[in-house]
Parts: sequence; structure tokens; C-alpha cells
Amino acid sequence: MILLQELEKRYGETVAVDGISLEVSAGECVFLVGGSGCGKTTTLKMVNRLIEPSAGRIEIDGEDPGRLPGHELRRRIGYAFQQVGLFPHLSVAENIAITPELLGWEPPRVRARVDELLDRVELPPDVFRNRRPEELSGGQQQRVGLARALAAEPAILLLDEPFGALDPLTRDRLQQSFLRLRRELHLTVLFVSHDMVEALLLADRIAVMDQGRILQIGTPAELLAAPSDPHVAQLLDTPRRQRDAVDRLLGAAS
Amino acid sequence: MSEQLALLPDRLMAHLQLSLVALAVGLVLAVPLGILVTRRRSLEPGVLGVASIIQTIPSLALLAVMVPALASLALLAERWGIELRSIGYPPAIVALSLYSILPILRNTVAGIRGVDPALHEAAQGVGMTPRQQLVRVELPLALPVIVAGARTAAVWVVGTATLSTPVGATSLGNFIFAGLQTRNYTAVWVGCLAAAGLALLLDALIATLEVGIRERRRGRVIAALGVSALLLVGTLGSLIAEASDQGERPILIGSKSFTEQYILSELVAGWVAEGTGRHSEPLESLGSTVAFDALRDNQIDLYVDYSGTVWATLMKREGLPESREAVLRDVERWLDEEHGIALVAALGFQNTYALGMRREQARELGVERIGDLPRVAPTLSIGGDFEFFGRAEWKALESHYGLAFREQRAMDSALMYQAAAGGEVDVISAYSTDGRIVAYDLLLLEDDGGVIPPYDAILLAGPRLQREAPEVIDALRALAGTIDETRMQELNFAIDEEGKAPSTVARELLRELRPAR
Repeated sequence: MILLQELEKRYGETVAVDGISLEVSAGECVFLVGGSGCGKTTTLKMVNRLIEPSAGRIEIDGEDPGRLPGHELRRRIGYAFQQVGLFPHLSVAENIAITPELLGWEPPRVRARVDELLDRVELPPDVFRNRRPEELSGGQQQRVGLARALAAEPAILLLDEPFGALDPLTRDRLQQSFLRLRRELHLTVLFVSHDMVEALLLADRIAVMDQGRILQIGTPAELLAAPSDPHVAQLLDTPRRQRDAVDRLLGAAS
Repeated sequence: MSEQLALLPDRLMAHLQLSLVALAVGLVLAVPLGILVTRRRSLEPGVLGVASIIQTIPSLALLAVMVPALASLALLAERWGIELRSIGYPPAIVALSLYSILPILRNTVAGIRGVDPALHEAAQGVGMTPRQQLVRVELPLALPVIVAGARTAAVWVVGTATLSTPVGATSLGNFIFAGLQTRNYTAVWVGCLAAAGLALLLDALIATLEVGIRERRRGRVIAALGVSALLLVGTLGSLIAEASDQGERPILIGSKSFTEQYILSELVAGWVAEGTGRHSEPLESLGSTVAFDALRDNQIDLYVDYSGTVWATLMKREGLPESREAVLRDVERWLDEEHGIALVAALGFQNTYALGMRREQARELGVERIGDLPRVAPTLSIGGDFEFFGRAEWKALESHYGLAFREQRAMDSALMYQAAAGGEVDVISAYSTDGRIVAYDLLLLEDDGGVIPPYDAILLAGPRLQREAPEVIDALRALAGTIDETRMQELNFAIDEEGKAPSTVARELLRELRPAR
């Protein structure tokens, strides 16, 4: 469970996040959606304290994460982002093993966990274990990034546009993998995306953000049925128009 | 050639030792400093600025400056009972280490700064502490760049180490300095080629390491590290063996950087060995003031200086000098009272500035003494080395004799004698023991007014040698008066013009002075 109350981030005069309150229940997947500069990534990074908030309160499973040193907090929270950031001097297995090793797991347990995760992200361990990041395709790299984020069995997963830089086919396959993983592992997920279609397909609830504030929050069906704000309506309109255009083309073709 | 090659292994080893130790010290200082700079950005301009300034100091000056700097440090250290040497290895190591810092420092900073920001974010994201980020991510990724910096430093240090000869550290520079002075170009070539070869070797070794790290080829890295470790252990091993050698301390014999000094130091070494059985080591091509300071501070035990040099530049006496004997007495008393240095023997000859001209021309003009010159000077030209016309000796000659030459030309001392012999100038400021005086049949004009101070060659012994080995000094006293000016000219000539090695000439002289008993 993640709870954000009146969360703020200011850089001098600039307000990046302007009093956000949000609750993500255990096992829920909430999307933060908005254009660039809307404050969605800043909000996400305040949860694992890659960015320290200026004001407001965060609770994780009922506790104040500020009491832990930042690095210890981050070992308990999975984190993956668009650039992936696999360490080029380490093999795939070594990349995935980092957080468990930092936590002091026994080597046999680490090895077993690495193979299990490679299986879960659909990369056969025997083939991929000893590969170098540079030998992987973009989609494979992102799968390893996901496995690395999940390595230390976190209950919470933070994702920042993880599929943003992938081609549509790869993106679709990874989204399917993600859906399966979050159900199997019963993950609590906060997911940042600028893509409303992705949000509609994957989210339990969507928070639409603009200028550091949440404009509207609700399930995909609620948002589609009753957008409370012209900006939200506009964001939802785009996938609709695309669907209609595709429908017409499909109709004409058949 | 074979004489030079016989010296090569020792000097190559000494050179490698200097370079590797300096490089190791440079790495140990520069990498942490570079890391610190990346942690605290505010330090960057200061630290990199100082390192850059050090780099712009001409290397010869940096090495030379280390001698007085370490000497004052040594005085401080003495209070805590620590003995610090201010000539030889210490100043060379300090200067070369400082020199190796900048390229390593700059590359360390660049290497760490160059790490992809996404990897910083990932390292934080997986829960690394700042220290873990440094050790597990930043340093491994910066390593090839840091090693490339070490490679640049290695080549610089090997080249610069040839300049550590004048501060008393043996290196391949000994070939070059001595070779240039004694016109032995074989020696110069041996020194240059060996230094270049060593630089290329180290460069190739570190390049192998660099490529191995970059391409993650474990075999190459291990091989390169193995060879480096072997080199380091080998050179350090010999250093430790030297330091822990509990045998009798070798007697250190210094020499300045001109031909007769090399002969005399070899002669003294041979004399000590035959007379007392004591082993000695040469410290060659010392800077002029370095030699005296080194003797005073017991960092060398013996060397040959000249009475006039001590009298004029150290005792700061001015005006018309007294007689040759009076100057010797003055100098001997002053050395003993002020510095505890013993004047062991006046060798018998002087090496002084003297005016020389072609014997034939002198006869035609009826010139035998400097006193005869003023009459004919307005029709003659005079040539002198670069410092001669600025020296007190020339001013004294000019004013005392009233000399006014038609023309006065400064030139390289190596060209001076030829110029006189060829008639390009009529009078030159010769060094009285130079072999070319005989070779070109020049006449040295007598200083009948006694203007130029006497420059008796005097063998000096430092305080410690007097205390520890009086028998060595007693044995050396027999050298008094054994070499006259003509003999010294011949000996210098044998080296400068006939291409013999100083050690060969010294051996012949030794045999002559100490007939087998």
C-alpha cells in the first residue's frame, strides 16, 4: 500500500508537484498519465526517495519511509525505467543479482532467484544468464530490467515508461508479460506513462496529471464515461478517434 | 660502444625503478584525488588548477627545485630524528610523481563524469549506497579511461626521468648528460634509444591492459598485470635488497658535469678501492651547487671542486685575490670551520678561465702575458662562452689591464677553440685544462697582474666520511700534487677528441700514479 498526502516538490520558484494525494492499495496498479513536465516522474521518484519531497507525507504499508536510509528503502521497492540502465560491465545474471547481493542473500539462493526470474520474464536462463547487456535487443534488455527490479521480491513496483522506447510488437508482448507478472506476484504498482492507450489496457485506476496536479482519478471505465475536465476528455478522445479510424479501415477491407 | 652497453643494465634498471615508483605514487595520489573531485565539485577548479600548474613547470626546473625543497624538509625532519635525503632518489621520485599526477587525475575525473546518467539512476534505484555506486559501477566503468591516463603518465615519466641525473639519481640520463659533455655521441644514442624503448615497452604493456579491460578479455588483463607486477617486484626487490644490505656502506663519489670531473671521480674511486679495499659508487653529472650542498649534508662523501669557486661563489670574497697558496689556506680553513668539510688534497693543477690565442700569432705580435695585450687589443677580436662576459673575472681583466678589443663575441664553448684555431677570433676565454688547447696549439697567456683567482682542483671530503673512515682520507692525501695542468689537458683531450671513455683514461692514470707494488 502506498499513500501520498499533499505531496509537493518545489525547485526554487518552480513548482514541479503541487500537492498530490493518492492511495494505491495492495495489489493495485495505478497509472500516472500526462504530458511531459506534468510532474508524473517527479511524483514517482519521491516514493522511493530518488527525489526528496519539499512538503507532504508518504506512507508505505503504514510506515514512514523517511525513517530508513534511502538506499535501504530502495532495496525493498522495485524500480525500472525507460533507459533501463543495465550495467554494461556485468552479465545479465549479475545485473539481476545486484539487489539480493546487497541484501546479503546466500549465493545459492541468489542463483536460484536469477533463474526463476529469467523464466518469469520469458528469457531462457541457459541462453541468457551469461550474456552481456550489449548483446540483447531493446525488448530483451527491458525484460532483464524488469527482472532486476523484481529480484529482491519487492511488494511494490515503480515503473517509469518502461515500454516507451520499444517497437509496437515488442511493446505489446511486454505488456502481456507485465499483466501476467503482476497477477502472479500480486504486485502493488505505480506506473508512469504518457500513453493513454497503455493506461487503459493495463491500469486498475488512472490518475491524469497536468501542471503538478491530479486532474481526475478513476478506473478506465469511469474516466471514459465521465471525464471531469476538458483536458482529460481530450486525452481520452485520441484513442477513441484512432479506434474509429481503424474500424473504418477494417470495415472497408472486409 | 661495449663500454656503454656494459653500463646499460644498471642504468636501465635504475630508470625503470624511478619510473615505476613515481607512477605508482602518482596513481595512489591521483585516483583518490580524482574521486574526491567528482564528489565535491567545488574542489575541481582548485585541484585541477594546481595539477596543471605543476605540469607547466619545466621538468628540469621542477627536479632542481626539489633539492632545496627537500633539504629544508630534511632539516625539519631531523628534529624528529628522521633522516631524509635531499639528493638522489627522493627529489627525483617526488618531482616525477607530481608530474605523473595530472594525466591520471584528469582521466579519473573524466572517466567517472563520463558514466551514463541512466547508470547512476539504475545504481541508486537498485539500492546502492554512494560508496557501492562508486566501487561497483563508477570505478569499473571509468577504469579504461583511468588506465589510459596512466599510459600517458608512463610515457611522460620515462622521458622526464632522464632529467633526474643532475639531482643525483642514476638514470638513462647519465648516458645523455655525460655523453653530451664528453662529446661521446654513442653514449647519447644509447641513452636516448634505451629511454625511448622503455617508454614504448611500458606504453605497449599498459595499452594491452587498457584494451583488455575495455574488451573484457580476462586473459590479456591478467597477462599484462602479471608482467607489470613482475617488473615492479623485480625493481622493488633490488631496491629492498640494496636497502637491507647490511654490508659496509659504499663511499659516494660525486662529480659535476664536465669531462675532467668524470675522470677524477673514477680516479678517486679506483684509488680508494686499491688503497683501502672500500667499495664506492659514483653520483655523476650533479649540478654545480647540488654537489657542494650534497657534500655538506653527507649525501655524497667526496668530490673535486676548485678553490676559486669556493672562494668567490661560496665565501663571496671580492677584489684582487691573494696568492694561490693563500687562497687554498683560506678555503681550507673556511670549509672546515663553517661546514666541517675537509680539504683532502690539492691535485696539482688549476682549471681556470684563461685567455688563449694561436701560438704563432702570439709570437708575431710579441704577446706572452695578458699585460702585453692592451697594446694590440684594438686590432683583435675576442670570443667567450655565454657567461664569460658577464662574469667578475672578465670585468676584473677589462678594468685592471685596460683591455679594449675591436670586437667581442659570445659563442658555445665547444665552438670557441675551433674558432680560435681557424682565425675567426684572435683571443678566447679558454678553460685552462681543456684538451683542445694542446690539440689546436693555443698559447695560454700568463695572468701577470694576478687578477683571476686561482682555481686549484681540490678533493673535498664530507663530515661523515671523516668520522667514519679516516683511513680513506689518509689514503687519498697521497693524490696531492700528482696531476699538472698539461697532464690534465692530455687526459681531457683523450676523451673529447680521441673518443676514449673516462673510465679507461682513469684506469690508465691510476696505473701510472700507483705502480703495482
